[in-house]
Amino acid sequence: MQNMGIDVLFKGRNFLRLLGGLWVAVRISLISVAISIVLGILMGMLMTLKNRPVQILCRIYLEIVRIMPQMVLLFIVYFGTTRVFGWNLSAEYAAIIVFSFWGTAEMGDLVRGSLISIPKIQYESARALGMKEGTLFRHVILPQTVRRLIPLSINLITRMIKTTSLVMMIGMVEVLKVAQQIIEANRKSSPNAAFGVFFVVFLLYFLICWPVSRAAVYLEKRWAE
Amino acid sequence: MKNTLTGKIRTAAAGLGIAGLLLAGQISAVSVSADAGAAFRTLDEIKESGTVNIGVFSDKSPFGYVDEYGEYQGYDVYFANRIGEDLGVEINYVSTEAANRIEYLQTGKVDIILANFTVTEERAEEVDFALPYMNVALGVVSPEDAVIESLDDIGPDDQVIVISGTTAETYLVKNNPEIKLQKYDAYAEAKTAFENGNGVAWANDNTEVIAFSIENEGYVVGIPSLGSQDTIAPAVTKGNESLLNWLNDEIRSLGEEEFFHRDYEETLLDTYGKDYEDTLVVEGGAAPEAAA
Amino acid sequence: MDPGVIKSYLPLYRDALLLTLRIGWQGVLLAFIIGFLCVTAIRFKVPVVRVIVKGYIELFRNTPLLVQLFFLYFALPKIGIRLSPEFCGSLGLGLLGGAYMAETFRSGLDNIPVIQQESAESLGMNRLQAFRYVILPQAVASSVPGFLANTIFLLKETSVFSTISLMDLMFTAKDLIGMYAKTIECLTLLVVFYLIMLLPVSILGSFVERRLRHAEYGD
Repeated sequence: MQNMGIDVLFKGRNFLRLLGGLWVAVRISLISVAISIVLGILMGMLMTLKNRPVQILCRIYLEIVRIMPQMVLLFIVYFGTTRVFGWNLSAEYAAIIVFSFWGTAEMGDLVRGSLISIPKIQYESARALGMKEGTLFRHVILPQTVRRLIPLSINLITRMIKTTSLVMMIGMVEVLKVAQQIIEANRKSSPNAAFGVFFVVFLLYFLICWPVSRAAVYLEKRWAE
Repeated sequence: MKNTLTGKIRTAAAGLGIAGLLLAGQISAVSVSADAGAAFRTLDEIKESGTVNIGVFSDKSPFGYVDEYGEYQGYDVYFANRIGEDLGVEINYVSTEAANRIEYLQTGKVDIILANFTVTEERAEEVDFALPYMNVALGVVSPEDAVIESLDDIGPDDQVIVISGTTAETYLVKNNPEIKLQKYDAYAEAKTAFENGNGVAWANDNTEVIAFSIENEGYVVGIPSLGSQDTIAPAVTKGNESLLNWLNDEIRSLGEEEFFHRDYEETLLDTYGKDYEDTLVVEGGAAPEAAA
Repeated sequence: MDPGVIKSYLPLYRDALLLTLRIGWQGVLLAFIIGFLCVTAIRFKVPVVRVIVKGYIELFRNTPLLVQLFFLYFALPKIGIRLSPEFCGSLGLGLLGGAYMAETFRSGLDNIPVIQQESAESLGMNRLQAFRYVILPQAVASSVPGFLANTIFLLKETSVFSTISLMDLMFTAKDLIGMYAKTIECLTLLVVFYLIMLLPVSILGSFVERRLRHAEYGD
């Protein structure tokens, strides 16, 4: 393996550093998804309101998220807000804001979809059974919505983990940046490190994301029945 | 009905929100200062906070890089460590790319840039430079079987590798717009691409290309000096006088103990040998002793 | 905001837009072809190929484009395979997109009731004919919104091309910020150009989706 440059990963704390970089990615994704679920539920309810201005605003918001690359949003939030409002956000904070902004839109759309897809008859039957509104929501509506949301949120986690590779561009030291640093520090002794190190990074991402997305598929199938 | 429903969702949401906040508690260095007036922190504010934010390269060996234990190292970092020591504060290193350096200062994301920052007129309009601590010019390195000894050797279809936001890029864009540039974000990327043979040459600070030709077999610095002789200096946000004055005093007093010569011997000697010591080092912010 | 600055940057952004579109278009086309081939292999249960295809889909759906590009552009030359930046860009988009297109396509196929296949066969069509004339047209039609969403996704992903030295919209903005520090102007232009590029596709997507729903449910 000498000439493929994987050996540099066993020097010092290099491999642990790579894993540390990966944890940064996972942490940002988990926090953002947690925030997205909360805000997404509220957003989804807003979207079901039959209020024209609210609907237009929601439409614009969704369209922005759909069109703007996350990278552009990261730059705007990280540098732009300081320029315009004087907020000094750390890179991690900026990343969480952008990812939550994105996640909330996706979740909101899903919540809206599942809220309107629950047939009216369910509300009516529940009421006919004498349920109060609170009970109805907790025992009838919420379980169905959550069942639909959980696989999709898990899916969103993997997509976010993959997107966190962009935070390197706003100066966060995550797994790719660590990889570059390792290659750079060993350029002389191990000129082929680029192959081994990038290969390992590729695998690491896969090993994190794959089980998570399989879990999402599994839950989706199981609860679809 | 809608209201009660919303109410219930809020309660459920609140629970999740708390979970989110707990997770968020893990984030280090979340600082939101709503004060639009101060884009920088004064000397006293830095001392009071106990931490100075210094922007350095993390992939530009031997000036600023990270070793296998995750520690920042290099000529710039050696100086930065001393600054932290003399200020009596902890250092928070921020990894920068060339193109971000001005932006980081102007948005107050770092207090000082010590990322091999060449002093130029254009940049001096955007940030304040302290006294210099290193000499630099531009240089061009190429493979030894196809050495580029003058910019005229570069064919119309040849591509020259540069790093976005460096003086080499600005110089070539301004003075030789006919040369095709292949731009990269980061040092690590540019060097790997050059090694892989993606460009006929790599133009950068001559210090950097000389180091590259010494450390890597098969490369020659065909153009050792291009454009004007410049210097490298720490930079602070425009108008941050207290910090700027402190840095200038620091550089002058470090000159008395020959600090930058020691810095050179600790960090650059392995790469450059003795030969470049007097050419590269600027001691005490003085005018260069010898021009390369 | 300085109108003079914006005016002088416009040609650079226009070039970047053209480059983004050119590579994006090649990538999307490649993604289509790869996606179609993959689904065909899975559908007709081609031995061995089917397993490879499934592995490929999982691998590329679960890794970031940035890392894929790093690997294609920086790591492969170390074992003697050197590709140009443009080719890497298109190939990277194609490989990533192929995995997504295949999934979209497959769910389109899965949504066609089995009875259609059976009816087609009972009319005397063989499996290939049934696929070609009955299943495929419907599956393609119902996958169109998904395809358009993937197209937007792929065009957005071009924003990481700076890594492989391609002057796409994002890199143009970053590069100009690095040289002249006109952040607000650069970011504004960036947003405007992404809108020019993607808003039409997005609107088309919503339109097609409505039409399809209308065709299916008549409401």
